[in-house]
Amino acid sequence: MHESLKHELESMFKDILVIDTEDNQLTVFAQRSQISVILQFLKDKGFDHLTLVSAVDWIEEKKFELVYILTRYLEEANKDRDKEKTYLIVKTRISREKPQLETITGIFPNAEPYEREIHELFGISFEGHPRLTPLFLEREYKIPPFRKDFDTRKYVEDVFDTIPIVEEKDK
Amino acid sequence: MDRNQIMKWLKAPAKMSNKYSLHAIYFCTGCGIIEVPPVITARWDAERFGVIPVATPRQANLFLITGYVSVKTLRAIIRTYEQMYEPKYTVGFGSCPINGGMYWDSYNTIKHLDKYIPIDGWIAGCMPRPEAIFIAVVHLWTLIDKEKANGYIRYRENYKSYRRNQELALGKLEWPPLYPINSSS
Repeated sequence: MHESLKHELESMFKDILVIDTEDNQLTVFAQRSQISVILQFLKDKGFDHLTLVSAVDWIEEKKFELVYILTRYLEEANKDRDKEKTYLIVKTRISREKPQLETITGIFPNAEPYEREIHELFGISFEGHPRLTPLFLEREYKIPPFRKDFDTRKYVEDVFDTIPIVEEKDK
Repeated sequence: MDRNQIMKWLKAPAKMSNKYSLHAIYFCTGCGIIEVPPVITARWDAERFGVIPVATPRQANLFLITGYVSVKTLRAIIRTYEQMYEPKYTVGFGSCPINGGMYWDSYNTIKHLDKYIPIDGWIAGCMPRPEAIFIAVVHLWTLIDKEKANGYIRYRENYKSYRRNQELALGKLEWPPLYPINSSS
């Protein structure tokens, strides 16, 4: 069923790789500059629900991978499949040294908290994002804590284990 | 009323009343809160033990911390604890407040809760069964009888150390000290 969409994507955009990963799932590997164009194209195609924005740290390849998962929100739009929803996964890789990417909040406004979270936990900054302020974390971290080179054990030893036990006077 | 205890009631009526009417405030930090609705409702019915949930910390004297404590929730826990009236008792529920539990190497959870506020008793387990809450309540009764559930007194006496630890974990606290911090203690 994806064949038509697959061909359309491949003819519209250069340098992308479209793979049928599962029955109801299509994965698109794209260049970073194409992301907003592809997402806008898919939104016009009926994939109007951004389920998730996530990031993966490929430390050996020195890349961050951004993952956008799209689906159709309305059941009527899924008529071609009986019950299962179709998912479109758009992936792109950006360099680890200078992690910057264009925001997609203009296309999907609900990407805002996801991008804030990724900014906080991975240190990827999104150009044009309305507010990249802290979301969850209270403490300052030298390395953002979800990066693979963040040593949680060492951090715990340095921070929480150094806090002394309260010594109480004997009664 | 138990006739054996009539002397205790005559000696210290306020203490006995506190003991048998624990008004609990549950701090729903983590998965432990799953165990609390069956405990306070008909299935296990905590009111048999005089434990009843209340809405605000101002009305409570039992503080049950159910689940892991992240740095951000520690701030709320301290503020809740300081708002409760004395005598107040604190019970850590589950293994996470004891030593971090499965979050032992997490970047954002507090490992030992007793470094920041005084704890009167622990319920170990991941998760403890609802019955464990009642065992803890009965233990707390004996501790109150022996006047060993003295967390709030220890807090007052060692407030300087507790406040120092709280500031180490949270940075600058935006509320003033609960007790005066004099240099001698």
